[in-house]
Parts: sequence; structure tokens; C-alpha cells
Amino acid sequence: MIEFRLNGEAVRTDDAPDTPLLWTVRDSFKLKGSKYGCGAGLCGACTMHLDGQAVRTCILPIAAVAGKDITTIEGLGTPDSPHPLQAAWEASSVPQCGYCQPGQIMSAAALLSANPNPSGEEVETAMAGNICRCGCYPRIKQAILDVAKAGHEVQV
Amino acid sequence: MNAVNFSRRKFLRNTGVAGGGLVIGISLAGCGGGLPALRGSPGSLVPNAFLEITPENIIRFVCPRDEMGQGVTTGLTTLIAEELDVTPSRIQIALAGPHPDYDNPAFGMQATGGSTSIFAHFTQLRQVGADVRALLLRAASEDLGVPVSSLGTDDGHVLLGGARHPFGDFAATAREPPLPEETPLKRASDFKYIGKDFPRLDGMDKATGRTEFGIDVEVPGMMRAVVRRSPVIGGTVKRINSEAAAAMPGIAHIVQIEEGIAVVSEKYWQAKQAADALDIEWSLPALADVTSAQVKADYKAAMDAEDGDATGEQGDLSAGFAAASDTVEHDYWTPYLAHAPMEPMNAVVHVEGDRAAVWCGTQGIGAARSIVAKVAGLDAEHVEAHSTYLGGGFGRRGTLTHVAEAAQISKATGKPIHLLWSREDDMKSGFFRPASLMRIKAGIDDSGQVSAWFAKRVGGNIMPDVVEQMLPFMLPNAVPDGVVNWLAGAVEGAMDGWIVDGVSVEGLFEDYDFPNREVRHVTKDHGLPLAFWRSVGHSFTAFAKETMMDELAEMSGLDAVEFRVRNTRNNPRLQNVIKAAGDHMRRMRPTAGRHLGFAAHHSYRTDVAEVAEISVENGAIRIHKVLCVVDCGLAVNPDVVRAQMEGAIMFGLTAALHGEINIDAGEVTQSNFHDYPILRMNEAPEVEVVIIDSDAHPTGVGEPGLPPIAPAVANAVYAATGKRLRSLPLKLV
Repeated sequence: MIEFRLNGEAVRTDDAPDTPLLWTVRDSFKLKGSKYGCGAGLCGACTMHLDGQAVRTCILPIAAVAGKDITTIEGLGTPDSPHPLQAAWEASSVPQCGYCQPGQIMSAAALLSANPNPSGEEVETAMAGNICRCGCYPRIKQAILDVAKAGHEVQV
Repeated sequence: MNAVNFSRRKFLRNTGVAGGGLVIGISLAGCGGGLPALRGSPGSLVPNAFLEITPENIIRFVCPRDEMGQGVTTGLTTLIAEELDVTPSRIQIALAGPHPDYDNPAFGMQATGGSTSIFAHFTQLRQVGADVRALLLRAASEDLGVPVSSLGTDDGHVLLGGARHPFGDFAATAREPPLPEETPLKRASDFKYIGKDFPRLDGMDKATGRTEFGIDVEVPGMMRAVVRRSPVIGGTVKRINSEAAAAMPGIAHIVQIEEGIAVVSEKYWQAKQAADALDIEWSLPALADVTSAQVKADYKAAMDAEDGDATGEQGDLSAGFAAASDTVEHDYWTPYLAHAPMEPMNAVVHVEGDRAAVWCGTQGIGAARSIVAKVAGLDAEHVEAHSTYLGGGFGRRGTLTHVAEAAQISKATGKPIHLLWSREDDMKSGFFRPASLMRIKAGIDDSGQVSAWFAKRVGGNIMPDVVEQMLPFMLPNAVPDGVVNWLAGAVEGAMDGWIVDGVSVEGLFEDYDFPNREVRHVTKDHGLPLAFWRSVGHSFTAFAKETMMDELAEMSGLDAVEFRVRNTRNNPRLQNVIKAAGDHMRRMRPTAGRHLGFAAHHSYRTDVAEVAEISVENGAIRIHKVLCVVDCGLAVNPDVVRAQMEGAIMFGLTAALHGEINIDAGEVTQSNFHDYPILRMNEAPEVEVVIIDSDAHPTGVGEPGLPPIAPAVANAVYAATGKRLRSLPLKLV
């Protein structure tokens, strides 16, 4: 039995300890916002926050998250109360198919939390681990810079 | 303008209010799943297959096309909203299940692709909106006891004097027939929403992780399946030892299907680990003898030795070459490519006795239903089919092998099955953009005109693969399998022998005046399954055509823009786009070390020219900026058009810089994003999109931005290095 906090709530699972966090969150806790893209930590679609850090959960065994704080896209904001990045994503029509966007936003939120005023180059470096096959990169980058410029306080 | 030719009258007669009281005009028999939004709201007005207006004034639109990121839910909703007079964001959007009313007017079948959605529905859905608005006004006139002429509308309300009456107030009266027909449509100058920028309607759901993709579907009692497939596509199981796998935790079933061995568990990770533990020996197909080097060599031999089939002939080629002052000939190579949408293939299927259900994100939900019916041995009417959003399409979700697999597993286990392919499955066992070897021989005269154009392509054809995959599922179940297989085989052979598959050579010869031309095609197919891939034939032909045009421009002593202008006298719309991009190009002032390349291409009724600004650093090509000029007729949502140009450019840059699928002993050697790299943000250029102002009928947007980018970059590389690159992906070392 492994216990951790998921979006602020204490949870426990009897999934095998080597189960990647992504699958425990999707199959056992039925939170579907975090996506499977590669299963190898290559695309970032599965990105969540572990104690505030962006992590690739398709290769992170749940054994490693015991006692930790996990935040998923569902915990970041909702349509009624969106995170500033989510509001910017909507306002700038960032998503196309949208499949990778929860991971993109989780990576972006971790970036702004650590570096509230990144340069364009710093955004590119921080976001290079998230693939968007639709090619929304120019809008993702701009939305992150817009949020940083607006000086929103970014919490994770 | 080239609007889709279909009878509005016939369409509305088939779908509209037809008798006493409420007649939906569409069959709900067998629970076809076609109308998820249009069920169970007592007192609602449901005038046709597309709209529902509830007494509470909830307005629902059933979107007939599949949303794979191209913005179709926003675009088509805008068409309805404009004429119905409702703010687009007020409208609730549902995704259509299978029904003929949701056919794509451009295809006559329920399919999404070919950059057709706005083009094909532009008139139809505005008409639906206008007729329903007229119906509501008639009902309001009756209920309020005033003439229609005294009424107006605004954002889902009927206006009378200063009063605003919700549309829903008149739903009951509006259920009386007849539904007005051919109500006059608005003039473009009166548009409130069409042609205006506003945010995509699906943006917030996608930013908060709420959008439901196929992978997110949950059905009570659902089990997860993982399939081990032959390492060489088409192989079959020779020997299987599943003991170790069966003993692993949570494994409920291990079943053999046509494509391999399926492992079923309540949880994906358990199924995946057990599938990896299966010990399988495979019988390999003929493809197992094929390597990429051999494919290339076979194409080269065929190019030199075989004449192939002719198409696109015009004028007198010999006379054209005789009149030429300069002649040049080159070969161009483009590899197999994977689509690699971010959401790997998946589907939920439940076969349950005499009925079945399927949930998936697909570019053809009707075909998905048919494939499940076929596997389950049922009539299609007994199969419920539910569309979800697509985590990328690009042509990949026009194929349905995964749906057939899920159906087989569900039939064998009796459980609702969610089948998920891994990324490796998708990369190694999927469908591919065909590889091509192209040869162009061209002559120019002293005036800078192309006097002769000979183009030849060697490679596999997509259409026969599509027909072969789809035909068995489009025929009634009464036809015996043997006949179906024979037909599929016969059609494939027939297509090989009789005609040139249009999508194999499209874009190789049509754009320029070319008074004397000939196009030939030699079919060489090594058995790797082929599928439409974003911009299809144009994705490779534009590379050959536009790099050759650049070379011819230099030979003629003209600049890249002026040379193309001189050769587009019969194609004023493309010429105008070339001129506009040329004007912008002249204003671009690349700093030291940066170079510009130009390319233009017509595809999906749309004209696009692109300028790439690049540098070469230690042999690596870096793209800094892309300027894109597009004429797609009236831009229904200009920001969505810009987004599609941006996205198509990024998709095309992945192919230009990285994309390559190879085979070794029949096995695809790439497996995941480490060896099939996708463009990442740190490689992505700034993109500026210029949309030509137009009120012409809208044309394609999802694909046309792609074809010009690879040649624009290749031409810029020539400007930078003096090296003409004639193979994709572009490599300097």
C-alpha cells in the first residue's frame, strides 16, 4: 500500500510499487487529464508536479512518490477558476488537438514557479521536453511570456 | 466559385420537420448513437440532425466533422451561429455519431479529411442556421401575435420592441411544420462572427484536461487490453507460450486475434507487463525480406527501366524540349514517414450478444461502426458508435485496425475492452506515408518560361491500401468473406494496372503553366501499409517541384519570385500569393549568416507561399523565421487559419529536418521519439502568417501550409551553402 497526496487529498493505492504514477492516476484514481504519449519520458504528455517539480510520470514508479505531494492538471485549475496559464491558453487559442496541453501547462507552471520572469530562450529550454505534434510552439511560448509579463503570481 | 454541389432542398427534406408534431427526421432505431445531444429533452425543438433548442434556451449543435485540432468545432459552430444569430460560445457542441445526415458533402460519406470541412459545410450549415432562425421567428410571430416583420433576433433571443424573448420560449410552437427552406443567407458585409477572430471554443476544456479523448473513455466493467504484434507487419502467430504472462498479477484473459496475442487486465500497466512477457514465435510475411536500401534500389531501377502509366499530359513534350535553351534533370527522394499523433491508437469496444458499442476518436465514425459490426457479425444498426475528440489525426485516424482488434478481443472475452497501442506499436506496426523517388526533367526558354516539364514518380499507392482496408467493412455482411477478400484483391490489382492513383502524383505538375508536359507513374509497393498523411501526395511532390523551380529560376537568371510569376499566367490566385510573399520577402532583411528560401504550392483548393529564413551552423540547419502567405478564400476564423498554417509548418519541418521511417528485414527500425524525433520548441521558428483578404468561398486550411515548407528550407540551404539537397530529411553532412 502506497500513500501520497493527490491534488491536496490523501490517497492510497495497492497498485504494484513499480507501476508508473501516470497509470495509477489514470486507471486507479480515474483522473484522465494527464496523458500517455511515449511511455519513455520523451514527450512530456504525462507531466505532473511532485512537490512542485515537473516530473515525467510515465516512468516514475509510485514507490518513489510515497508521502509526496502530487499535482495534476485537474489540481492546477478549473474552467471556473483557471490557473493564469490556463486562462492564457484559452485567450490565445494555444491548443489544437489539445492532447499534449496538460503536460505543456504543467511544465510551464513549474517553470514560472521557479523563474517568474524567464527569457524566451529560457522558456524554450524549459519546454523542450514537451512535444506538440500539432506544432503549437509559437503560441505556447508566447502565452508563457504573456503570463510572466502580466506578473501573475504563479502557484503550484 | 467552386462550392460543393448538393441539393439544399433535398437535404432539408430528408432531415427536417416532415409530419404532424415533432418529427426528428432521423432514425433512432437500434440506438445508432447518432444523436447524443438530441435525446431526452422533453419540449425541445429538434428541427434537423444538427440543432436542438430546449425550453430553457440551451442551444446544442451536433458537429458533423471530427475535431482533431484543426478547429472544426469552432469553425462549423460559427457557421450555424452566424445565421441562427447566437454567440458561438453560447452553443453547446456535441460530436456526431454515424448517420447519413452527417456525411461530408465533399465525399458523400461520413469522413473528415482532405481539408474539406469548412469548404464543404460552408453553405449547408449556414442554411441550417438561417432556416431554423426563420422557423423561430414564425413561431414567435404566432405566439406574440405580431407580424414577423416587427421581430428581430440577437444572441439566441427574439427581439420585440425593447423585450428579449429567449428562442427556447418558442420551441413548442416551432415544432409545427413546415421547416422553412432556402431562407436567404446573410451578405458577407453583415457577418457578426464569420471572418472575425475569437478564441477557439475548445480552448479552456483542453487547457484544464477536461476534453475527453478516446484514451479517456471509461465504461462500466471495462477491461484494458494490450496486443503483441508481429515485429514485421502482417506476420502471424506460429507458436505461443503464455504461461509466464498468465501467471502475472491481474491478468484476466489472453486471447489470440488476427494481428497477434491480446492480454486483458483491469489495469493497463498489468496488461502491458504481461504482454511483454509473452513468448511468441512468428510466421513472417514477404515484407521480412525487405530493407530500406533495397526499396531505394528497386525504385531507382524502376525509374530507369520502366515507363509506367501516363497522366497529366499537355502539349508536345519533345517540341518543348527542342524549344528549350537550357535543360536539367534530377532525382528526388522522400522517405516513408509515421504520423505519430500524440495520442496513440486506441478504442473501446463492447460486443454483447446481438448488439455492440464502440467509442473512439476517428476520422470516420461510420466506418468504425461498420468494422465493429463486421467483426461482431451484426448489422451496423445494432452497433452504437460514439465519437470522442482526437489526440491528433493527420490521416492516421482514418485507419481502423485498432478498432477491429478491440472488437475481436471484446467478442472473445464478452467484456468491454479498451485497447491501447503503445508508442512503439504505433511507430512500428502502423501505417505510413509512402516513400517516393521522383524524377523531373525540365527545359526553359530564353524568356524564362518552362517550355517542357517531364515528371515521374516511383513508389507505392495509397488508394489501393485504403480500398483494401475499407472495402470489407463497407459491404453488407451477407456477402461471404471469400467474395469480399476477392473483391478487395481484385480492386487493388485493378487500380494498379489501369490508372494512376491521383494522390501519388498530385502537386507534381499542376501549379505552373507548363505548356508541354508529361507525368508518368511506376507503382512499386513493398508491402508496408500506406495511409494518407497530412497533405498526402503534396507532402512529397512539392519538395521535388519547388526545389526544381528554384534551380530553373537560377538558370534563367531571374529571381525565385519573378520566375514563378512568369510561369503562373494561367493561375492568377497562386500568382497573387507568390507576388504577395515576394513583397514581404523583399522587406525581410536577414542578418549576416542568415539566408532566405522561397516556395509556393497549391493544394486542397488553397494557395500558399512560404519564405524560410535559416542559418547553417556546423552543418546543422536552423530555421529562424517563416513567412507564410495564404489565400484560402474567406477565412471563417482568421486566427484558426493562422494556427493551422503555424502547425502545418511545424509538422512539415519535422519531416524536412528529422522524419525518416526505415525498414530492416521488414521491421520498422524506429520505435519512439528518441529515434523518430519530432520538432521541439527550441527548434521551432517564429511564424508570420498573412491571409489574403477574400470573400470567395472558403477552401482548405488544415493541410495546405505544409507542402511549401520543406522546399522553402531546402532553397534557403542552397542560398546559404551552394548545395542543392534533393533528399528528405535535409542533411548537409
